[in-house]
Amino acid sequence: MEVALLFLAIIVLLLIGVPIAVALGLSSILFLLAFSDSSLASIAQTLFSAFEGHYTLLAIPFFILASSFMSTGGVAKRIIRFSIACVGHFPGGLAIAGVFACMMFAALSGSSPATVVAIGTIVIAGMRQVGYTKEFAAGVICNAGTLGILIPPSIVMVVYAAAVEVSVGRMFLAGVIPGLLAGLSLMAAIYIMAKWKNLPKGEWAGWGEIYSSAKEASWGLLLIVIIMGGIYGGVFTPTEAAAVAAVYAWIIATFVYRDMGPLATEGETRNVSLFRQPSALLTALYHPDTRKTLFDAGKLTVTLLFVIANALILKHVLTDEQVPQQITETMLAYGFGPVMFLVAVNVILLIGGQFMEPSGLLVIVAPLVFPIAMELGIDPIHLGIIMVVNMEIGMITPPVGLNLFVTSGVAGMPMMAVVKAALPFLAVLFAFLIVVTYVPWISTVLPNAVMGPEIVTN
Amino acid sequence: NCDDGEVVIKFSHVTNTDRHPKGIAASLLETRVNEEMNGKACMQVFPNSTLYNDNKVLEAMLQGDVQLAAPSLSKFEKFTKKFRLFDLPFMFKDINAVETYQGSDAGKGLLDSMQRRGLQGLAYWHNGMKQMSASKPLLMPSDANGLKFRVQSSEVLVAQMEAIGGTPQKMAFSEVYGALQQGVVDGQENTWSNIYGKKFFEVQDGTTETNHGIIDYLLVTSVDWLESLKPDVRDQFLKIVAEVTAARNQESTAVNEAAKQSVIKAGGTVRSLTPEQRAAWVEVMKPVWAKFEKDVGADNIAAAQAANN
Amino acid sequence: MTIKPLSDRVEETATAAILGSMTVITFANVIARYVFDSGILWALEVTVFLFGWLVLLGAAYAVKIRAHLGVDVVTAGLTPPKRRILALLACAVCIVYAFLLLKGSWDYWANFANLPATEGRWFPLGFEDKFREKGWYETEDTPMPDIFGFRPLDWLQDVFNEGEVYEKIPRLVPYAVLPFAMALLLIRFVMAGIAIWRGRMEGLIASHEVEDAVDEAAKKLKDL
Ligand code: NA
Ligand code: NA
Repeated sequence: MEVALLFLAIIVLLLIGVPIAVALGLSSILFLLAFSDSSLASIAQTLFSAFEGHYTLLAIPFFILASSFMSTGGVAKRIIRFSIACVGHFPGGLAIAGVFACMMFAALSGSSPATVVAIGTIVIAGMRQVGYTKEFAAGVICNAGTLGILIPPSIVMVVYAAAVEVSVGRMFLAGVIPGLLAGLSLMAAIYIMAKWKNLPKGEWAGWGEIYSSAKEASWGLLLIVIIMGGIYGGVFTPTEAAAVAAVYAWIIATFVYRDMGPLATEGETRNVSLFRQPSALLTALYHPDTRKTLFDAGKLTVTLLFVIANALILKHVLTDEQVPQQITETMLAYGFGPVMFLVAVNVILLIGGQFMEPSGLLVIVAPLVFPIAMELGIDPIHLGIIMVVNMEIGMITPPVGLNLFVTSGVAGMPMMAVVKAALPFLAVLFAFLIVVTYVPWISTVLPNAVMGPEIVTN
Repeated sequence: NCDDGEVVIKFSHVTNTDRHPKGIAASLLETRVNEEMNGKACMQVFPNSTLYNDNKVLEAMLQGDVQLAAPSLSKFEKFTKKFRLFDLPFMFKDINAVETYQGSDAGKGLLDSMQRRGLQGLAYWHNGMKQMSASKPLLMPSDANGLKFRVQSSEVLVAQMEAIGGTPQKMAFSEVYGALQQGVVDGQENTWSNIYGKKFFEVQDGTTETNHGIIDYLLVTSVDWLESLKPDVRDQFLKIVAEVTAARNQESTAVNEAAKQSVIKAGGTVRSLTPEQRAAWVEVMKPVWAKFEKDVGADNIAAAQAANN
Repeated sequence: MTIKPLSDRVEETATAAILGSMTVITFANVIARYVFDSGILWALEVTVFLFGWLVLLGAAYAVKIRAHLGVDVVTAGLTPPKRRILALLACAVCIVYAFLLLKGSWDYWANFANLPATEGRWFPLGFEDKFREKGWYETEDTPMPDIFGFRPLDWLQDVFNEGEVYEKIPRLVPYAVLPFAMALLLIRFVMAGIAIWRGRMEGLIASHEVEDAVDEAAKKLKDL
């Protein structure tokens, strides 16, 4: 009963415009002061432990930073050129290329909205120029952008791994096949629509263009090798991989692409060579572009992690009150089987996704449902992927959907227009969610093959 | 759930409830307290670090937010460096010697040594003797030269790994299995029950039965809370603690032996040391003692050595 | 270009510098392992402390630049006067939050600095007169800084540890950020409340994490 009051308080506070972090934190504090023996000091301790006690979360700022350098440093436009060269000549080619570019950028970035901004900014404009409707372009990018959290690296997966203490590396591997599958399904859907509606197709630019665009994009795409190869080749822990990725992205953006930092020039003129200006090696460290990117990434880290830290306070309060045990007992007493359970998880996440920032929601829901999942013999990695795909769908369903907001902003369209535009592709993702939920193999085969069978060590 | 009027005893620990020696002991304690002290006290166990991890639980205890915990002994060196005794390599020849020392005046004295800082040790809970595993066979100390070992935060363990030419590395426990498998670190040290429970043997060349150290836990509570209990409640509680401790500690040798056999049965390689090889390990590691003798106290070391006879 | 107030520049530079240091330390640990065959044992702990500092200090600045995430589906549909009332109400909620956390943070940190926590469950009702000092309580891995013999924190030993040598920095150092950051947060929420009252600010929240980037992108697209 008290717990229902707690969640009601959170929702009311959210709706009157209180920041998510404060809504979660304050409701938890009031609940704790009113119904338990714990002190305010214990809340402060939990707040600091959010960082001190969760080494895993440390990967998040580094992935955000890597992604920021990549976006600023012009890797997006090179990836897009490469994907147009590869698939632009198919019916619906530019749209398919947009999906392909989102998939590649998703492999560099841990966030869905970042993927929409980076790819959408360029591709939506390009698609309009060759004759697609704005709606179609927005619908494609809005959906494909959600792959940002399914294709590794993924901030949401890091949060899940931290919340239930599974290996981040395993989660990342688990996202690979579902990510590719989701991307291919979207491409297939576009191809069918293109045939049917006779959508424009581009010119085949030849192998030469593929080669030279690949060469250009390769510096950015090498980051995938560093992240995934570094983790599975035994060079880094996932957190270290993220930090190395950030340093690498800075080097590429500043010294190779030279679209930011001391070697960048205004407009279309060629950027300065490092040999002409070797002092850049030093000045790049504190160049305004470097500082601004660090600050922007820092700001994003602050806002996301402040939500997560307060969600961890709520998690602590719920644990302290033994709520997960009670839910587990109740659900098992009612005879919930795995199927009913997974349906329930999907529904909770889809509803919760309307109010909450995805990673904050995950911090709260994962510990509540994890013990039941273990009782029912559900693979923790599989459960994680189901949750991630749910988050993806939450991002493109009204009234609150992160990617809907971002796409409407990027494309300059009203929200409702984006919602309508995204609808046909949303159906694809829904079908995909059902497949991923009931075919655990898709999620678990790769991590099990590479890292051996999952051991539930808890 | 606890009834009104019952003393609530929150016990936060970091392992499972049914396979790990500490988790089993905690569950047994929970069952007995809740049955025998019904109406007077009520125990809630929070396993798997769901409430606090080992770094935070003692802070929370001093704050009054949790009443029982059982961190490994090295966690108490922040409170008094005397606890470094238990991390010194080859201090005890086997778990019986550990038991003898812990039951001696010196060992019991350590339980009370942190009262000034607010903690009261209640009992030592055994896990067992530590073994060493790596990505290549470890028979002589020189085999460990240049390898990266995952260690817990402890000055003594860092010094021990450096003594054999290894590089100590720190990382989140949930990443250790993956890190061993992928080669981010080459080796680790642990008891048989942990090596089997966390499946480390699957991703190592083999485990060497070095018995070079121990992992034990200290069941601990806060001085202020213990003093706040009614005498009859306190006495009954402490009596149950003592009985559970005796029962579970007796099992520890069997538990670790069973874990070792399970490792072998699951295809893990287990290597034993000849007396000469063992002597070589002792020779390389034992100088670490000198470095920490001042912290631990020569009398304390002497008492521990007496337990080996 | 407008000139930003000094406090903004300090906070922006601090944010960039902390995140930069976290990256460099973690990167250096990898280099140490592969190039120098050693490890920086304190790297992980120092980095998570910096991580906590980044977010807690940044949370206050995020109030000022209106970057905290929230849900605006309800408020966006209201008339400006109604929106202003809700924004003031939300602000009051935030002030209560920051105030309670400031008390909690002080109570948590104070004993680590051998200072008394406050009495009272909800409101501070004076200071406790009997408490256990925890100035001796060290962190896990972070050694006392020693830069070629220059030891900037050794004075802490005399003040907080009865002259006894610290092997690691005491917990009072990293935890000090808590009361400091929560005080800043409280100040920023009060200032935001005043700004909303005077009509210089519309609300407290950003509806999503990439608002700035989207604005920039939308501008670019319009130009095409
Ligand atoms: Na991604
Ligand atoms: Na939604």
